[in-house]
Amino acid sequence: MCNLPIKVVCRANAEYMSPSGKVPFIHVGNQVVSELGPIVQFVKAKGHSLSDGLDEVQKAEMKAYMELVNNMLLTAELYLQWCDETTVGEITHARYGSPYPWPLNHILAYQKQWEVKRKMKAIGWGNKTLDQVLEDVDQCCQALSQRLGTQPYFFNKQPTELDALVFGHLYTILTTQLTNDELSEKVKNYSNLLAFCRRIEQHYFEDRGKGSSSIRSS
Amino acid sequence: MAAPMELFCWSGGWGLPSVDLDSLTVLTYARFTGAPLKVHKVTNPWQSPSGTLPALRTSHGEVISVPHKIITHLRKEKYNADYDLSARQGADTLAFMSLLEEKLLPVLIHTFWVDTKNYVEVTRKWYAEAMPFPLNFFLPGRMQRQFMERLQLLCGEHRPENEEELEKELYQEARECLTLLSQRLGSQKFFFGDAPASLDAFVFGYLALLLQARLPSGKLQAHLRGLQNLCAYCTHVLSLYFPWDGAEGPPPRQTPAGPETEEEPYRRRNQVLSVLAGLAAMVGYALLSGIVSIQRTTPARAPGTRSLSMAEEDEEE
Repeated sequence: MCNLPIKVVCRANAEYMSPSGKVPFIHVGNQVVSELGPIVQFVKAKGHSLSDGLDEVQKAEMKAYMELVNNMLLTAELYLQWCDETTVGEITHARYGSPYPWPLNHILAYQKQWEVKRKMKAIGWGNKTLDQVLEDVDQCCQALSQRLGTQPYFFNKQPTELDALVFGHLYTILTTQLTNDELSEKVKNYSNLLAFCRRIEQHYFEDRGKGSSSIRSS
Repeated sequence: MAAPMELFCWSGGWGLPSVDLDSLTVLTYARFTGAPLKVHKVTNPWQSPSGTLPALRTSHGEVISVPHKIITHLRKEKYNADYDLSARQGADTLAFMSLLEEKLLPVLIHTFWVDTKNYVEVTRKWYAEAMPFPLNFFLPGRMQRQFMERLQLLCGEHRPENEEELEKELYQEARECLTLLSQRLGSQKFFFGDAPASLDAFVFGYLALLLQARLPSGKLQAHLRGLQNLCAYCTHVLSLYFPWDGAEGPPPRQTPAGPETEEEPYRRRNQVLSVLAGLAAMVGYALLSGIVSIQRTTPARAPGTRSLSMAEEDEEE
């Protein structure tokens, strides 16, 4: 969205290369910056920012909505990936352990699962059932849908960091094949969110000629 | 009619109706909506029906202890502070609550339970003084361990090696969050106009604790004091909805008055009982070990005096 030239590289040990242990991270010159927040600030320091046109109240709202997405959607995605037994068994274990040889793939997968379960318990999601998690996702999508309304982007004409974040999560939810499609069904209930994702995908990704999986195929 | 709803929560201190964030939030929400709750202010979490505070016992006997669920239940019982909010404001509420949870909650836990000076001089002191014997010996320590673990897991993803840097980052984000809240509030009376909503209850909970407690190392407090509209907001809510300023003094409403005066005779009775027990213990020990023996000499004196008088009579005769 900022029109910056980037090259995407996929590595199995990306989590370990990152300074904070999380992906994504960018490598610019001799600097390495990880996670969305610091990357946004880094890019801003270099003179590119998407939210300069917002006033203070709007910036506050944008931060709040970004936290909402992080709080609900991210946690729900983690829950579904690691705490729902069917998904864990059929998809996550295999996917997470695929770059490693046996027995490392099993060990690392179990370790990550245990870590995620601990975190869920700490924030109070440990006792939630899948239905409750889906209900939370629905509430979150409803809030996002109401905030978006009929505008093209969350803050009217220009895309901001919030649009990028929401697109990232929703696109992943919509295009990832899982054992049950309830999560993507919840998102598909909100037509303006679907249209929003399609618009960004067309505008920023297909125009550049990328042939990866698109929303239309799912 | 069904039994009234009962709310068990931590009792008040530092000029606030409750010292615990969740209890304060739920209490404030109940005050905003005028829900007829029988409030039990306790200092012993084992007295609550679910073992944790706050806990709501509904009119059907069910016990709810997650604050969000308590508020949802109150909403279902038609005590809804968000009734007049538009859909967009409802969405904003969710967003700002997430913001509070992510940015302010870790720092609040850190300020009250992890920061050593604050913990020893303020938090532990209050809990140890308020809790009954023998809980005050081990329960504050256990609560601290639980909070520290929660804090670790909440921000454990960040670099755990450099604690000071992590602290600085946390406080930096909290300061930003407070500034954002201040900007969103602007010069309005409440976040969504003139009537309080559930978001106000949550924000008030955080702000009141940060502002009112006399913290020896209050870096966030200093920043918060600089945000005039948030301080005014806090005092406004306190004076409007909690005019009796915490647990001391007579409250204006009937419902919390009952249990509070009930606690007074219990305290007096406990004091009298403990003094009596102490006296009985001392006297019993004295008698048993023979330091004092009263009873043996009294029957001997009467025949002694009689024999003296008989001797006198004999002498006279």
